[in-house]
Amino acid sequence: MGQSKSDINRRQFLRNGAVAVVALSAVGVGANYLKKLNIENAKTLLRPPGAVDESEFIYACIKCGLCVQICPIEAIKLAGISDGLSYGTPYIDPRAQACDFSCDAMQCIETCPTSALDFIPFKTAGEEAYVAYNKANPTPGPDYNPIAIQSKAMKAHTKMGLAVINAKTCFAVEGKGFKGTPREEGFEGVYRSPNPKLKERKASLVNDHLFNSEICNLCVTECPIGDSAIIMETKTGIDGKEQWSPKILDGCTGCGVCVMVCPSTPDTIIIEKLETA
Amino acid sequence: MINLKKLQPLPAKRREEMPNSKLGITFKEWKANKPNKNKWRNKRWAVLLFFNFLFWASFAFDIGVLEGSLSGSRFFGIYLMDPYNALQEMFIASRTGYFAMLTTNFFIGFFVILMFYFLMGGRTFCSWLCPYHFLAENVEKLHNYLVKKKKIKEHSYNIGIKYIFWVGFLLLAFFTKTLVFETINPVGIISRALIYGPGLLLLWIVVLLIFEIVYSKRFWCRYVCPIGVTYSVLKKVSPVGVEFDLSKCGHCRDCQDVCLVPHELWFVKRGEATKEIHSTGADCTNCGLCVDVCYGDALTLKIKGFDKIL
Repeated sequence: MGQSKSDINRRQFLRNGAVAVVALSAVGVGANYLKKLNIENAKTLLRPPGAVDESEFIYACIKCGLCVQICPIEAIKLAGISDGLSYGTPYIDPRAQACDFSCDAMQCIETCPTSALDFIPFKTAGEEAYVAYNKANPTPGPDYNPIAIQSKAMKAHTKMGLAVINAKTCFAVEGKGFKGTPREEGFEGVYRSPNPKLKERKASLVNDHLFNSEICNLCVTECPIGDSAIIMETKTGIDGKEQWSPKILDGCTGCGVCVMVCPSTPDTIIIEKLETA
Repeated sequence: MINLKKLQPLPAKRREEMPNSKLGITFKEWKANKPNKNKWRNKRWAVLLFFNFLFWASFAFDIGVLEGSLSGSRFFGIYLMDPYNALQEMFIASRTGYFAMLTTNFFIGFFVILMFYFLMGGRTFCSWLCPYHFLAENVEKLHNYLVKKKKIKEHSYNIGIKYIFWVGFLLLAFFTKTLVFETINPVGIISRALIYGPGLLLLWIVVLLIFEIVYSKRFWCRYVCPIGVTYSVLKKVSPVGVEFDLSKCGHCRDCQDVCLVPHELWFVKRGEATKEIHSTGADCTNCGLCVDVCYGDALTLKIKGFDKIL
């Protein structure tokens, strides 16, 4: 026998290793190709609050699903294989279940171990609001609540996207009113009504809320952010009749509650992701 | 399989030194004496199923004991992180400069896991926790049956190529700026499927398992999985492992038949052992299958130096 055992071993290692390197390069080329597709594809995926830019999100997210687990209303879901490299990353489908800030503390952002949802800007925003409030009100009033102040600032800091209203199917633009429950029977989405009369502490079913408005204005009244995000514009038309149209303002966080409660067709309001540099 | 064999093998055991000779019975009788116990296997499967159940139950019933999945989780609020994922993230961060993702919780998770598996014996993760290992271990029986019936041929490769994959996937993460490995990682895929509901990517697991049944035994765990390699580094310095006592060994090598990484039991072959007491190397997953099968109790799961303390 001319060859020792270690010789055979080494040659086997080199032969198998070469195959391994080829396989690895194939995976690498495939991943790179998928990544290019993915950046296009992921524009339709609405990321949870605090998500960093998609080009960073794709590697910062380790697909652990902690944000999915912590969400009290289960708004966050994990993407499937059809989303390519985004497989296993979190997204929100606002028509099925929007983020209504039920947790009050941006828990999904806080829980993320790799800052794919980056908490630091939110922390800063909350602290700044707290300091600003204290400066403006040196003697705190009876309803002084530092947590609520910070929570409100943190909510307002969210920028998941921007709501876009399709005037063609909007009830308000058509001058229609709305009566009844907003969504089809059996719809399981929940949210916490901002209506102060209801004093909701926990989220309840969308369909548990009864509406009766002369001009449909659910997107305006149910917005968790309020006047800085959406208002109902009224103006008098050429024929002398009043015309209504909801208008999205800069304060819109893209949370998607308006998308969820809209009683019109599914694509009357959509959330568009913001173009970031 | 780089064992620095500077030591010369001890002389092969003589007939009267065999454990059966000491008892005055034949080898066959000695082997038949052993009650069929699956002590360690049962314990191990119980632990494996329990923790995977806990992952599922934490989300399903919102009890919050073990949140997340096997790629990253929180155990009673303490962050845990898959170490290979963590290494990839560090590589990517060094490339892209987005160091913000290496948060405090990230490092807590990384070091807690490293510390824990250093104490628990490195690849203990594989056989005691990994859901893919559980599936592969069970389909291996089918593979062995088919080989025995000569329906298929066994294909084996050099086990050193797993180091190539380990380096390779890290480099891929560095160059493509994505967690390439996590996308095809069967551990993460099964874990997520268990917790968040099944998806189409489970087909990849099926493909892997079929490949392991009809072509190469335990292909993924032995030759590819970089998570296992990461843990095996810890095993090299870890105090926990399987200890082998030459004086009790009958060289039947049944342990190598059941072993999931038989090259780690190289010393059970007659005339190979270089010391009276051997410990298994880095690839040993401390599964205890060899301990269960050993007729002379020559193999035991031990913590090194623990009996000295007592």
